[in-house]
Amino acid sequence: MRFVHTADWQLGMRRRVLGARPPKEAAAGVTGEAQARYAQARLDAVAALGRLADQRDAAFVLVCGDVFESNLVGPDVVARACEALASFRTPVLLLPGNHDPADAACVLRRPDFARRRPAHVTVLDSPGVHEVAPGIEVVAAPWRSKHPLTDLVGEQLADLGPAPPGTLRVLAGHGELDVLDPDDDEPARIRRDGVLAALGDGRIHYAALGDRHSTWVDAADDRIRHPGTPEVTDFDEVDPGNVLVVDLDEHAAAVATERVGCWSFVRHDTRLDTDDDLERLDAWLAARPDKERAAVRLALVGTLSLRQRSHLDDLLAAHGHAFAAVEVLPQHSDLATVPDDADLADLDLHGFAADAATELFAAAGGSDGGADTEARDALRLLHRLVGSDR
Amino acid sequence: MRLHRIRLRDFRGVHDREVTLAERGVTVLQGDNEVGKTSTVAALDLLFDAADSSRRAEIRAAQPSGVDAGPEVEAEVSTGPYRFVYRKRWLRRPRTELTVLAPSSEQLTGAEAHARVSAILDETMDRVLWRGLRVEQHTAVGQADLGGQDALTRALDRAASGAVGAASSPRPDPSVDDGLVERAVEELRRYRTPGGRATGELRLAEVRRSAAEAEHERCRTALEAVERDVAVRDRLDADVATVRARRRAHAAEVAELEDRWSGLQSRLREVETARSRAVLARERADSARERRASRDALVAALGADADVVTRAAEALAAHEGEHAAARDERDARRAADTAARNEAGAARRRADDAARAVSAARDRAELADLADRLQRAEVARTGLAAAGRVLAATALDADDLAGLEDLARDLVRAEAARDAAAARLELTAPAGLTVLVDGTEVTLGAGETRTLPVAGSRALSVPGVLDVRVRPGLDEAGRDDAVRERQQALAERCEELGVAGVEDARVARREADDAERRAEEHRAALARELAGHGDATALRAAHDAIRDRLGEDIPEGDADVPALRTAADAARDAADQAARAADEAAAACRAAEDAVRDADTRAAVLAERAADARHAHARRAEELRAARAAEADADLADAEGERLARARDAEREHEALAAALADDDPDTVEARVVNARAVDERLGGEAVRLEREHAETTGRLQAAGLEGWHDQEAAAAAELEVAVREHDAVARRSAAAQRLHDTLARHRERVRRSYVAPFRAQVERLARIVFGSSLSLEIDEDLRITHRTLDGTTVAFGALSSGAQEQLGLCARLACAALVDPADGVPVVIDDALGHTDPERLARLGAVFTAATAADGAAQVIVLTCTPERYHGIGAATVVPLAPSRRPGEHAREREAPAAVVEDTPARTPGTVVDLPRAPRAG
Repeated sequence: MRFVHTADWQLGMRRRVLGARPPKEAAAGVTGEAQARYAQARLDAVAALGRLADQRDAAFVLVCGDVFESNLVGPDVVARACEALASFRTPVLLLPGNHDPADAACVLRRPDFARRRPAHVTVLDSPGVHEVAPGIEVVAAPWRSKHPLTDLVGEQLADLGPAPPGTLRVLAGHGELDVLDPDDDEPARIRRDGVLAALGDGRIHYAALGDRHSTWVDAADDRIRHPGTPEVTDFDEVDPGNVLVVDLDEHAAAVATERVGCWSFVRHDTRLDTDDDLERLDAWLAARPDKERAAVRLALVGTLSLRQRSHLDDLLAAHGHAFAAVEVLPQHSDLATVPDDADLADLDLHGFAADAATELFAAAGGSDGGADTEARDALRLLHRLVGSDR
Repeated sequence: MRLHRIRLRDFRGVHDREVTLAERGVTVLQGDNEVGKTSTVAALDLLFDAADSSRRAEIRAAQPSGVDAGPEVEAEVSTGPYRFVYRKRWLRRPRTELTVLAPSSEQLTGAEAHARVSAILDETMDRVLWRGLRVEQHTAVGQADLGGQDALTRALDRAASGAVGAASSPRPDPSVDDGLVERAVEELRRYRTPGGRATGELRLAEVRRSAAEAEHERCRTALEAVERDVAVRDRLDADVATVRARRRAHAAEVAELEDRWSGLQSRLREVETARSRAVLARERADSARERRASRDALVAALGADADVVTRAAEALAAHEGEHAAARDERDARRAADTAARNEAGAARRRADDAARAVSAARDRAELADLADRLQRAEVARTGLAAAGRVLAATALDADDLAGLEDLARDLVRAEAARDAAAARLELTAPAGLTVLVDGTEVTLGAGETRTLPVAGSRALSVPGVLDVRVRPGLDEAGRDDAVRERQQALAERCEELGVAGVEDARVARREADDAERRAEEHRAALARELAGHGDATALRAAHDAIRDRLGEDIPEGDADVPALRTAADAARDAADQAARAADEAAAACRAAEDAVRDADTRAAVLAERAADARHAHARRAEELRAARAAEADADLADAEGERLARARDAEREHEALAAALADDDPDTVEARVVNARAVDERLGGEAVRLEREHAETTGRLQAAGLEGWHDQEAAAAAELEVAVREHDAVARRSAAAQRLHDTLARHRERVRRSYVAPFRAQVERLARIVFGSSLSLEIDEDLRITHRTLDGTTVAFGALSSGAQEQLGLCARLACAALVDPADGVPVVIDDALGHTDPERLARLGAVFTAATAADGAAQVIVLTCTPERYHGIGAATVVPLAPSRRPGEHAREREAPAAVVEDTPARTPGTVVDLPRAPRAG
């Protein structure tokens, strides 16, 4: 039996790094153009995995939670999601996760979703065993509220009897395993021991999980898996952008990891002290593939002169146009701009202007943390004003 | 920059003129109005600024009218290391030519030449200062705007550095800080207004940020509301289930209680029935008792009635006695009354008789009195008539008597006077003797002495013995005459009056007076007697009336009136008493009559009462008989006893039932039933409320789902982050611009302040020549004179007189000219200034000009004037008189050109002007 295991579509998600919606006034700064392309990319990934399921002749597509970014996404997001789902020929099972729990506001029960929901799409909003096809059962552990007080998967497994002979059972759950995030205060953590035991005694044959955006497989039993999000959502994700094609029998699962995502979110930490460092950064940025679908987050540490800082600004501005986003992470950056004597000489000022520049240099001087950033900014401006005169 | 010469051709009114200027010091261009002084300066500006292709209004205005030639200007200038000749012609065959003479010779034409000159000028001279140091015609010489002049600033910088002794570093490119502060200001103005408010980018960023914050807050609030609703829905789901379960559980309890309650209710009804029965039996017993009691009462009433009848008959009988007594009494009273009335009548008559007797007696007395009075009146009238007759006989009245008396007195006086004055004759006889005196015998006693007055002649004779005649003197005779006159008058009067003499008159008078008095007395008596009657006739009439009344019995003797009166009084008293007795008898009679009537009435009443009582008794007896016929007394008593027993039985039964019910505590059961129903109702209400809230919350959630709050919130959050980031960046740039500007401005201020000192020193040096050595000036950082202090009095610049402002303004410009580096210097052009300056100050200003231009390399000063005497005081001036430069055809109409004009060769001597003849110009 073959099915497609995916999760965390997070439809309706926006990434701040990709900028705001186009502001009413034509102000400088990033616009929402990348945001729109990113939203489309998430839908494209869904369509792609649907095509994949069709091609591989999967019995069903199991989405383990977080189909939508929130229960409160707009009707446009719902409508587009339904359109994407309608392009599938394979049946689809949608499990409510922590972002779209089956509470009173559940988007999967909303009239606009219900009206557009294609016939082959089933919402697993009631917990328990669902028969998908003869001999195939899905044990659903949907989220019914944002903050459940128990291990929902464990709850289902506890009440579960052994699978009837000849029937394959897939557990559909959402949440972190306790081994991945040993947070004692979180009551909803999934107890791995329980899952392993259920797999071991044949109550279930595969534990399809969601919530972790990175593709992950349990070390003890490769039938416990997170497929990860089909399109990257954050910089700290490991190997996102995949879906799992699972060939399952009563004893084992053969899992193929298939890539459907097109975007990349990259974080780059580097030191900047010399002109060479700047050139390396320039080269690294230039070497990134698919820049229009890449967001780069830079954490820069080091000390630059005024001139070098101006160079850095120019460099980042130039690359910023090519990338979906280039962001210098302020909280992880420690970039000091220190004027040096060469900078002062460059200015070639006389009279009171020279006196003023000297004062600003003195205020901005030193690489210590207490340096006057405003004075540095003023010096950079002076640099620019003098430069513009020539 | 220095101007060596300027040549104008066909420029406004100037046909062709070249002016050569002194290279240093003052050049005064003097000439009449419209001779073209101002045109010379204007032409220089056009030469440097306007391309030969320009058709600016100034250029078109410079075109001479009616001449087919474009205006042309040529100037020879040295500036910096350069010296060049520059020529331009506009409008007709425009042309630009530049010949650079030093440092290396160059020849350029057209736009290239223009660009080259512009470059040279920009490089070597401060063109703003060039304009700033100029004083235009017709404008007040005020403060020159010197604050931003770079050449001056450099000069002052140099002076300041020199003043503080700092080694100024060489400045390979001194123009590098040109406009740096202005650019900093420009940069700052992108973010902040001069007032410090955010503007431009910063303002937009702030607006965007606050809008984003508001939007984000709005979305977040909405999201939280939805989340609250979700929680509410969950809670409501649970609550609805709880309420339903409780209602189900409660329903069983209600059913059980209701069963018990209905059982108790049927028993309650039984108790109620028993109670009604007992009450009914008790009522019946009561009615039997009442019937028996009423029979008893009837019997008793009959007895009472019989008593009443008896008592009424007794009363009637008793009254009959009283009745008869009353009638007897009445009859007696009537008899007494009649007797008393008769007695009273008799007494009255007696009293009347007595009164009449008294009256007659009184009349008689009065008649006698009246008769007396009549008699006395008659006597009085008779006396009165007699007196009247006497009075009528007497003619002498009182006045006549008084006249006589007067005359007699006069006589006596005259005689006395005569006697007093007369000689006296004293006769003394030693023995008795008789003598005749005037014929009268006078006997003298022995020793008697008699004195005789001698009045008139006296004849004394002792008869026979002696005759003596004594004659008075003359005076005595006069007196004797007076006496005789009076005697005569008296005698005459007496005769007139018919009296013998005075004595006689007096007697007559006394008699008349006595008659008068008697008449008066009689009149009084008459009046007294007639008093009350008017006159005698009336009196007599009264007398006659009384006499008539008395009639016959007039002389009834003297009746004793008081006795009669006493008798009359007694008779009247007796009559009164009798009348009173009669009245009392009548009253007693009336009382007796009343008593009889009362007794009659009472007898009637008593009779009626007795009849009533008899009737009542009869009726009652009939009633009792009828009642007894219907029901015997014994039957009534039996019925009463039987019904009372029955009532007691019924009451005992009810009490037994009620006690049995009370043991089962129906109140508690009822309270519980009522409570259970209320709980059920409340739970029902709770369920309805919960379902309503559930429906409302669900509705809100469905609506909220379609709002896409998550998308809105995410968008708002992204926008907020971008807005914050952008705002931070802009704010940082703004702060940097502010910091740079502040720092630059602060340093420039510091430098400027240091500039002020040398500038002030230079201005004061020049101004003291004009105003005296006590002058001091205050100058601000923009190098403007703010205050002048003279002889200890400080006055703001604006408050100074026009003349003083003009002089100080000129001093400031000349100070600039003296200060700036010769390489940077520009000519100071003064077009007809000092119109406000008095001759004394003008002379001093001449010294100022000289002092300002005395230094080696000091700037050129060019003065244009039509009143050369203003500038006569300038010692070092080179005076250039200007005459009209006209085309040859115009000479005939105008006076001859001055002799200084040389017709053919242009002079190259400074201070000369050449009015060139019109020469054919090269194409």
